[in-house]
Amino acid sequence: MKKYILKRVLLLIPILFGITFLSFAMMRAAGSDAVLQKADVSGVALSLEVLDAQRAELGLDQPFLVQYFRWLGGFLTGDLGVSYVSGNDVFSVFLSKLPATLLLTGTSILLTVAISIPLGILSAVKQNKCIDYLIRVCSFIGNSMPNFFVALVLMYLLAICLPIFPVISSDLSLRSAALPTLTLAIAMSAKYLRQVRAAVLDELSKDYVTGARARGVRFSVTLWKSVLRSCLVTILTLLALSIGSLLGGTAVVESIFMWDGVGKMAVDAIQMRDYPVIQAYVVWMAVIYVTVNLITDIVYRALDPRIRLGGEEG
Amino acid sequence: MKKKITAALLALGLLVSALAGCGGGNGDSGEAGNSGEKTLVFGDTTFNAENGEADINPHRDSGGWACIRYGVGETLFRFSDSMEVEPWLAESYENVDDLTWTITLRKGVSFTSGRAMDAQAVKECLDALMEEHARAAGNLQIAEISAQGQTVTIRTEEPVPALINYLADPYACIIDMEAGVTPEGIVSGTGPYQAVSLVTDTSLSLVKNENYWDGEPKIDRITVRTISDGDTLTMALQSGEIDAAYGMPYASYPLFENDNYTFTSCATSRVFFGAMNFESAVTSDPAVRRAIAMGIDRDSFVETLLGGNGYPAAGVYPDSFTFGGDAVSAESYDPEGAAKALEEAGWVDTDGDGVREKEGQRLTLRWLTYPSRQELPLLAEAAQASLGEIGFEVQINNTADHNTIRTDTGAWDIYVSAFVTAPTGDPEYFFSYCCLDDSAQNVGHYHSDRLEELAEELSGTFDTDRRGELAVEMQQILLDDNAYVFCSHLRMSMISRASVTGLAAHPCDYYEITAELDLV
Repeated sequence: MKKYILKRVLLLIPILFGITFLSFAMMRAAGSDAVLQKADVSGVALSLEVLDAQRAELGLDQPFLVQYFRWLGGFLTGDLGVSYVSGNDVFSVFLSKLPATLLLTGTSILLTVAISIPLGILSAVKQNKCIDYLIRVCSFIGNSMPNFFVALVLMYLLAICLPIFPVISSDLSLRSAALPTLTLAIAMSAKYLRQVRAAVLDELSKDYVTGARARGVRFSVTLWKSVLRSCLVTILTLLALSIGSLLGGTAVVESIFMWDGVGKMAVDAIQMRDYPVIQAYVVWMAVIYVTVNLITDIVYRALDPRIRLGGEEG
Repeated sequence: MKKKITAALLALGLLVSALAGCGGGNGDSGEAGNSGEKTLVFGDTTFNAENGEADINPHRDSGGWACIRYGVGETLFRFSDSMEVEPWLAESYENVDDLTWTITLRKGVSFTSGRAMDAQAVKECLDALMEEHARAAGNLQIAEISAQGQTVTIRTEEPVPALINYLADPYACIIDMEAGVTPEGIVSGTGPYQAVSLVTDTSLSLVKNENYWDGEPKIDRITVRTISDGDTLTMALQSGEIDAAYGMPYASYPLFENDNYTFTSCATSRVFFGAMNFESAVTSDPAVRRAIAMGIDRDSFVETLLGGNGYPAAGVYPDSFTFGGDAVSAESYDPEGAAKALEEAGWVDTDGDGVREKEGQRLTLRWLTYPSRQELPLLAEAAQASLGEIGFEVQINNTADHNTIRTDTGAWDIYVSAFVTAPTGDPEYFFSYCCLDDSAQNVGHYHSDRLEELAEELSGTFDTDRRGELAVEMQQILLDDNAYVFCSHLRMSMISRASVTGLAAHPCDYYEITAELDLV
């Protein structure tokens, strides 16, 4: 097991190298640079000399490989550089955005689990009954509405018509997190609810369930003790993917609610060609996906002994 | 089973209740009842690092805009409503000779740090500005500053007739360099409000400057909130979380056109305009340029597509400038006249496909523009329709990479952009950056001997009236050559709750939070 974990952690090195190089190259291929983008947004013209001086100051006049390896050198010594746009230290900026993202990830996952698992089970157990149809219709609606639309509807209903929640987030409180959390949870629950329903139905159709019934085992016992445990692997996979993407930030929701997380930071950085911030984000994404996948694999094994980790223990 | 489902639903209900907290009213805007303090929240779409306003340090990027707009900093000179320069922290000035200026400072002004604003403080600030701000250094060209009591003497390297105008630019906010700049980017100015906390891209907190020299500020605490999304800004004003808004999307205006809200608007010098490519086989033809100028319906664009939120442009500057508006004459919308001009120049539709040709060359107009200003794509579409009716085939390239493409004169025929033509109220800036042989922005390689001569004269002319006359003559040359087509000026609007008073839009767009701002 330790060997397996070590192997996965070591795998992070080539992943980081490859992904940071690719993102750096793609941003260069996209054209423009932070100096031009800033001049563009402000609408105030700068002379070529001033533009060149600003580029030289940021090292943007250097060849691509020099720029990349300079960044890589800094990264290896723990220096993520300074934002080309704000001039602030990238690591500090990143750390300041992280609590908001972690809070939103936590609340949205909890609410998603709280909605999708009970309703998914209920929908499966009451298959083709009224409640099943109702839940499925709601799930279709939730799935088909884009995030920004849900966000605006929720804002209108719960901040303007019924002034319960704020439109803009002013702090890292549950009250401020409520609308972004609901927005994310509605879309995720709509999707997971159907997955949970399908997984439960699949298990319910298996012979051991029929056998248990025939032996007179109460249905609720079979459902909670056997069926749900078997479904957990499916649910866990979905949750792991969601946690990964949520930790990467949800740019649209963050922008709409002024939720100051890493997703909004990344999108702003891409628009402004702020390479150091983009690179920090890419590193973060690589680390969280590798970590979340690793944790998921370990939990799989605990949940289902039939699963063997990459043949290590086969 | 039923019990467990009920329990799960109850748990969900509890979670939602917890998220809702205690409920009640939203935000912290408006007057705070208990403490008796007046508080105001100002929502702004532009206060962010992307816009060069990561903080309020005027010596960095466009930080001066935030510094002056939010009432923290003030400049030695300011602009009147007709964009004429008038003393502010300065009391008077004298242009001793072409290279020397003496400025007498107002007495009794102090920074929020407590230090008195004297000539030494101003010298320290301007010295730091010259060192840290490349654009300011290029404009001001200061060789030496000397300070004595309340008198500052500035000697420039070359004659800088617009020096006083440049000293009214937001970058020239006078800040206390002894107090310095905090790690958050907070500076100590002389304005009606003092910054106490700042989080980039999020908010700026202000408290009133108890020792303000020009009257008592009326609001105790102000929070400037960065709200990038237009719909969010709309709903925040509707819900009462903010009291005033800058950057509201045009589409939201009707929601606030009632007695509960107040609009304040004016024309700014930001113009939406097209620069012709003189290297192009199509736009190098004077008849084609004239037809383009006659074929764009500016009034309809402003009234219909911008919903009246703009002003049709004749020349470079709006009519709030003495040398702007109707001081020049441009081609008016005349599709028949445009078609006739093209016919006479030999552009005819020989194959009946609706697009004119001349000697095998189709009348295709490659329209280069970019999406970051909401007006530009609309303008492209409007022009595509109206020019299409007179035989043009307009190919729109609406791209964020326009800065790279525009340097390749083989890739476009007309480059349409937004540009602040007179950020310091002086006309020279636009010509020197956009229209001359050595202008950085003259990407279409326009040249006029007469314009070069007049630009030379303008750069050495100190008399304001004469500078205005030259600006009119120079604009007319651009318009007679149809080298540029000016479509509309931006109408800048701020919307506030009806209880907010003293918030007034200004043509230079620099002054928002002032000592007059109040809640009634």
